[in-house]
Amino acid sequence: MELVTPGIGLIFWMTLSFGLVLFILRKFAWKPILSTIKEREAYIAGSIRDSKRIQRELAELDATKEKLLLQAREKADELIQQAKKDSEVVIQKAQQQAREDAAKIVEAAKKSIFAERKAAEREIRQQIVNLTVDMTRRVLRDEFSDIGKNNQYVEKLLEDIQLN
Amino acid sequence: MKVKGKPDKDHFRSMICNIPGVFLAMLLILFTVNVFAETSPAEQKKEKGGFDAGKVIIDHILDAYDWHIADYGDTHISIPLPVILFYEGKWYFFFSHKFHHGKDAYKGFRIAGDGHKKGRIIKVLDDGITPDPNASFILDLSITKNAFSIFISASLLCWLLISVARTYTHCGPKRAPRGLSAFIEPLILFVRDDLARSAIPEDKVDRFLPYLLSLFFFIFFNNLLGLVPFFPGGANVTGSISVTLTLSLFTFMTLHLFANKEYWKHIFNTPGVPVWLKFPIPLMPVIELVGVFVKPIVLTLRLFANITAGHMIILGFVSLIFVLGASGTIMGLAISPLSVIFVIFMNFLELLVAFIQAYVFTFFSAIFFGMAVPDEHH
Repeated sequence: MELVTPGIGLIFWMTLSFGLVLFILRKFAWKPILSTIKEREAYIAGSIRDSKRIQRELAELDATKEKLLLQAREKADELIQQAKKDSEVVIQKAQQQAREDAAKIVEAAKKSIFAERKAAEREIRQQIVNLTVDMTRRVLRDEFSDIGKNNQYVEKLLEDIQLN
Repeated sequence: MKVKGKPDKDHFRSMICNIPGVFLAMLLILFTVNVFAETSPAEQKKEKGGFDAGKVIIDHILDAYDWHIADYGDTHISIPLPVILFYEGKWYFFFSHKFHHGKDAYKGFRIAGDGHKKGRIIKVLDDGITPDPNASFILDLSITKNAFSIFISASLLCWLLISVARTYTHCGPKRAPRGLSAFIEPLILFVRDDLARSAIPEDKVDRFLPYLLSLFFFIFFNNLLGLVPFFPGGANVTGSISVTLTLSLFTFMTLHLFANKEYWKHIFNTPGVPVWLKFPIPLMPVIELVGVFVKPIVLTLRLFANITAGHMIILGFVSLIFVLGASGTIMGLAISPLSVIFVIFMNFLELLVAFIQAYVFTFFSAIFFGMAVPDEHH
């Protein structure tokens, strides 16, 4: 009977102790522990959500990157093509210009050569005339010193003319 | 995972966290030898010339006014505990060693050796033996072995869990639990997710959770301490009907403190039941009302019976050695290995029971709470 008869003393002390345990643990143990666990769970859930979102964003970014790269490559090709074309045009133009310039220069050179030649010719002619005149004068002076001889010559000339 | 920049502090903290863990582990390891520590019933042998297994077992299971530790020859080594009595308007305080282990009376009181008050303090006549036939009620608030054990275990439990809580507040939510908290946290999550959340509506769990956790850890801790054979364990706290009754009364009070209208409606006007069962003879309300009081009684008896039975079986196997030893040394020696094997087996079983009974008590409390706060719309 003793085994199953509750004792007032023990019930009293048990109520007191267990009540205190409930109060103390509620305030100093369960509150911080449960709130920390809750926070951690929220943190982990948030982290998982974030990582999923980041993965998705990364995948999107990857796709965008690929697209951009492709576009860039196309653009670059286009630009290179354009540049090649442009450069050809420029080169052609330059060549044309060069040719024209060259032609002009040659033309000018020709003109100037021609003018030079003309001048030179004129000078040479002048020189020749001068020389001829000089020579003639000298010959004539010489000839006219000997009148007789001249007369003979003149007569001969006259004869020739008459003969003609 | 380490918090950057403070490894020293961290290390120190983990050491602190581990001290209770090591302590607990030591208790768990040592309990397996409790058999040998408790087998010193030399006293009974001498007095009766034989070994009274029933008396030894009951003495070990019952509450006591002193804490018996060991016998050495004729000397009893025990811790005297305070006796507090209130009798006829007067308080009496003294220590239990004045009773000389129940042999003497002190201030007109003694521990009853037989009768229906056996083991309790009774008023005796001047001769110190005869019970006073005119004695009025004695309010006995003595700090008995169980009460003292409750003080110790409650303090230990508070210290343990508060030190765990401190690691939580120190380390914050961004670190995995370790040390003792790694041991405690699965239990907390078990109580929260598998007991409380499975029985109580989601939005009302939080108000019951601290109570359920305290209840679970108190019972589990005391069950384990009860398996430790020597001081400060060994008291049969959760196998004491006063203790289990108090626990279930706490559950009962908490339940009716939080119970909502729906709960009372369910009792006095059970929905879905034909009217003739409620009126004119209120059959259903009476049954439901009985159920209200049966619940704590069932809780009380289940825990008490399970723990007491476990202790009895273990002590029975130990006693077997001495019962057979009394008929011949060889018999005693022959049976002892078998007994020890059975006792070890039972101790492991009791470890399991220690957990299961804490679980069952908490789970039923949670179910009753769930019944007390049903959702308003049905």
